Amino acid sequence: MTLLDFQTALGRLVRAPDGSDPLRSLRLTDHERTRLDSLIRSAGYRFTVEVQRSWCVGRATSAGYLTLSILPTDLRTRLLDEWTNSGGGTSSFFAAEAETLLDFIAAHIPNPSHELTVCRLEQATLRANEGVATFIAPDPVELDRSPCLLGRGRHAGIANFHGEPHPVVSALLAHKPLPPVSSIAEVTVLFAPGLDHLCRPASAAEADLWQALTGLLELTELLRRGHHREDVAAMLQCGALEYANDPCAP
Amino acid sequence: MIQPLGIGFPYIAQLPPDLYRSSLMSFVEVTPETICRQRAADRDVAIEIVPDQLDQARQTCADLPIVVHGVELSIGSAQGWNPAYIDMLDTFQALWPFVWHSEHLGFQTIPGDNGTTLEVGVPLPVPPTKEAADLIAQRAAEICRRYKVPFLLENPAYYIADLPSDPEIGDDIGLISAIMRQSGCFLLLDLHNVHCNALNHGIDPFATIDRAPLDRVVEIHVAGGASRDGFWMDGHNGPVPGRVWDLLEYTLARAPNVAGVVFEMLDEFAVRLGVDAIANELQHAATIWNRCRRRAA
Repeated sequence: MTLLDFQTALGRLVRAPDGSDPLRSLRLTDHERTRLDSLIRSAGYRFTVEVQRSWCVGRATSAGYLTLSILPTDLRTRLLDEWTNSGGGTSSFFAAEAETLLDFIAAHIPNPSHELTVCRLEQATLRANEGVATFIAPDPVELDRSPCLLGRGRHAGIANFHGEPHPVVSALLAHKPLPPVSSIAEVTVLFAPGLDHLCRPASAAEADLWQALTGLLELTELLRRGHHREDVAAMLQCGALEYANDPCAP
Repeated sequence: MIQPLGIGFPYIAQLPPDLYRSSLMSFVEVTPETICRQRAADRDVAIEIVPDQLDQARQTCADLPIVVHGVELSIGSAQGWNPAYIDMLDTFQALWPFVWHSEHLGFQTIPGDNGTTLEVGVPLPVPPTKEAADLIAQRAAEICRRYKVPFLLENPAYYIADLPSDPEIGDDIGLISAIMRQSGCFLLLDLHNVHCNALNHGIDPFATIDRAPLDRVVEIHVAGGASRDGFWMDGHNGPVPGRVWDLLEYTLARAPNVAGVVFEMLDEFAVRLGVDAIANELQHAATIWNRCRRRAA
């Protein structure tokens, strides 16, 4: 067995031992497969998997701390199991782990719910905080160049509160149960590295603009759809939007 | 021969900076990844030093010399090491020169689908084969040439006993010896890892040390661990066990080129253990270091 094949087999087995055929596509003889079968029955292998899971759960718990802390215990445990079984929790870098984990959690919790709001709030806060040290407001003059391709800011995010944010945040800080979800009032909060305190309420126009930019769009297309240039400029200025590529790249 | 530095401790941002300005340590071991972030760059990933965190680390360490102890190189990955780590270390060396640097002898990445790289999530041991020895020795030699300061590889703790091996290499110590011989790199002898392997696999730790290339040992790690499910874990989570202090005394008497001893701790446990307990461990290390140096003189 080559070193590459051995490492691929062992790495796959440790990373996700319940996954489908970890030995797929490897050129292994019957003898080599027998040897690997014997290895994975050993106490040392089982303990290695246990250590790996413990490290991955530890990283994930730290990366999604706020959101995980408000989920019911059984849901939290199930999500962490699913996340680590699918290869999550393996990145040593906090921000990278948090970004993907919180997307995973967001896809598995009710919408609308305060839990989903908190999940997006945590993700957006981490993003904005990550970008604040290096953020430089882009030159608005670039908006006049054509074509001018725009996208969501890499260090920006939005959280939709179902009801006033204050009671939700107060409950979080006091470790108390979250208030009922309001079906009437929705408050959207914008997070970006160029904002004071990294966040502020978003206007309806800004929220619409954010929703429109699920992918990259040219400024002319945004204007054609009824969005306003001054909203685009304001969101660019705080890092909520970014120029996407040349010739508009900052 | 490298000028001896004495007793060192890892840079841990959460600890009080005064600890690093005391007389308890004469150098600091910095893991650059702890002051870095990962960023997507095209199809690849870059490891970027965070300027604020670098400034904080430099202020904390003040005038103490530093050595680097990396965790993200994955020097033993057959598919290739982590080029982002190398790029980061190039920048780091230019910003903050180090006396020597080290990495773990292991692998933590495997090939994913469509040319991607998957992280395993935990470092795994490299099988003691000639293919592995040749590959790692060639990479270690390349690193020695690139950074022009001593490069050290750390012996790992491992729990899987029955790895494929070649008779001319034998075991983990044979693998280390072959790599040192072929590459010219040095050994970071982690005595707690020796202790772990001894307890978990029924090996005599003193015999392990006797078989190691002791003339290549530049740095020694001592650390604490914990027992779990019948294994002694390489946890870096507490005070150094008495047996590991015995191994330190034994090794220092036999390894002529040791330039530093580091009491290794993980961030979260260091904060929990507290400054007083850390100081006790550093003083204990210093006592043994000074005693062995006097004997050698």
